[in-house]
Amino acid sequence: MFANVFTKTLRDQRRSLLGWSIGVALTVVIMAAIWPSFSGMDLTAFLAQYPEAMKEAFNISEMTTGAGYLNAELFSRMLPAIFIIFAVARGARLVAGEEEDGTLEMLATMPVARRRILFEKSAALAVGVGVLAVVLFISTWVSALVFGLDVPVLHVLNGALAMFFIGLEFGLVALALSAGTGRRGLATGLSAGLAGASYLLYLIGQLVDGLRPFRVLSPFYQAISEGPLGPTLPPIAWTMVAVGLGAVAVSVPAFERRDLAV
Amino acid sequence: MDGAVIETRGLSKRYARTTALDALDLQVPPGTVFGYLGPNGAGKSTTIRMLMGLIRPTAGTATVLGYEIVRERQAIHRVVGYLPGDFNAYRDLTGQQYLTYLSNLRGDVAPAEISLLAKRFELDLGRRIGTLSHGNRQKVGIIQACMHRPQVLILDEPTSGLDPLMQHEFLDLVREFRNAGRTVFLSSHVLTEVEAVADLVGIIRGGHLVMTADVADVKSRARRRVDLTFVDGVELPIVELTRVPSVRDLDVVDGTVQLVVEGSMAELLRVAAPFGVERVVSNEVDLEDVFLQYYEGEDR
Repeated sequence: MFANVFTKTLRDQRRSLLGWSIGVALTVVIMAAIWPSFSGMDLTAFLAQYPEAMKEAFNISEMTTGAGYLNAELFSRMLPAIFIIFAVARGARLVAGEEEDGTLEMLATMPVARRRILFEKSAALAVGVGVLAVVLFISTWVSALVFGLDVPVLHVLNGALAMFFIGLEFGLVALALSAGTGRRGLATGLSAGLAGASYLLYLIGQLVDGLRPFRVLSPFYQAISEGPLGPTLPPIAWTMVAVGLGAVAVSVPAFERRDLAV
Repeated sequence: MDGAVIETRGLSKRYARTTALDALDLQVPPGTVFGYLGPNGAGKSTTIRMLMGLIRPTAGTATVLGYEIVRERQAIHRVVGYLPGDFNAYRDLTGQQYLTYLSNLRGDVAPAEISLLAKRFELDLGRRIGTLSHGNRQKVGIIQACMHRPQVLILDEPTSGLDPLMQHEFLDLVREFRNAGRTVFLSSHVLTEVEAVADLVGIIRGGHLVMTADVADVKSRARRRVDLTFVDGVELPIVELTRVPSVRDLDVVDGTVQLVVEGSMAELLRVAAPFGVERVVSNEVDLEDVFLQYYEGEDR
């Protein structure tokens, strides 16, 4: 557990990861448990009153299938938000939090390069978000079976992967800001703001024709445009991983050079 | 080893509004204990944090064991043991876990060394660091700085929070390092501590190095105020005391002789003792005063 920065960082997030895992699993199970009564209702009249664009924006028209229901209720907003909040909070803390606590000073005077510290912490963050995604995958797959939502396992896998990617992207951005500036508040706020702006871009892109071409820039579009519970995860989803890793790479020189806070 | 173990040339740290350190030129020869003295905010920690590569100089350069502090930071981290002025360890870890972690990051620590040091400083390694007193936490810091038997120790106010017994133990450890040919750079604002252990002393004030000196030399010139109370009914030996060469500014207040001694008190005590001294109160002169005297003395 104390072999290196990676394992130490993993160890540090074990409790919060346990809490978030329980939260994710409970959310999924509860939403799936509602499905049988939900699917029994006749929604045609209800859905008819929504404008077409809204239906598309919120995937409302697909709520007649189990996958569509989960996509609309969980995988379009709530789960991305959960993954982003978890990852951003962890990422922002990994460097700047240690700096605030004063523990980074010793770590940064061990014979380990700062960039190595950053990479190991990035890897630990990825594993943390990954564990949450595995929990999501298992709980979705099992509760879909139990409550008869009829979602193929591959579709569940794509959905969990999409959530992993979107969490990872914003988490790594937060970590990069955390390492580059040493300010946890700034790293958290800016990353959360970026996530909010991305969601808005996606939403408005669905509703306003003029912005349609730009929604592809939004990680939300990249993550959920094909479901995300669906037969494929679009190749553009990998952009999220690339942007996250890119942000960390860009922050390396800043972290290497800057003065650490007392 | 030839040359200085720590050498700074014009080392400076300027911030937008203040100059934390102004063109520091310093040389610490091998096998010495260098006491870096100065009031709080004088620039001691700034110097040390630059040596450790935590912050970058805005001008000048420095080397530790020949390694340049910016380009060869990692090499310095390998060979130096460092104790920050404000040592913070992970509060949720036990001392043992924390030291194991740092040992693993270092990769060249003998586990036996940790338990040896813990025993020596009477530290319970099984307790969580968050539950330790300030002094015991400081011991964890001292152990991590020494556990890899570094060539150079850089310690920022190391004895803060330690009880007198442990301070003594720590100063012994510092002497052992020195006697083994290693070099110790130690900052402090406590004169007695530096007096007790340092071979050389550098005084810093307001970001400027005021002077460096041999400690033995400074000691011989330090002035302190001494109050002598004699047994009742004895005629005060004013004349005899005035004749002692090291005595200055003699005065009598309420039957107590107040005077200033420069350097050693031996002669004064030898003269005063036969007259029936009841009580001797020796006031440590304020650190800055001592060195200001010294400094002014050099000027004249």
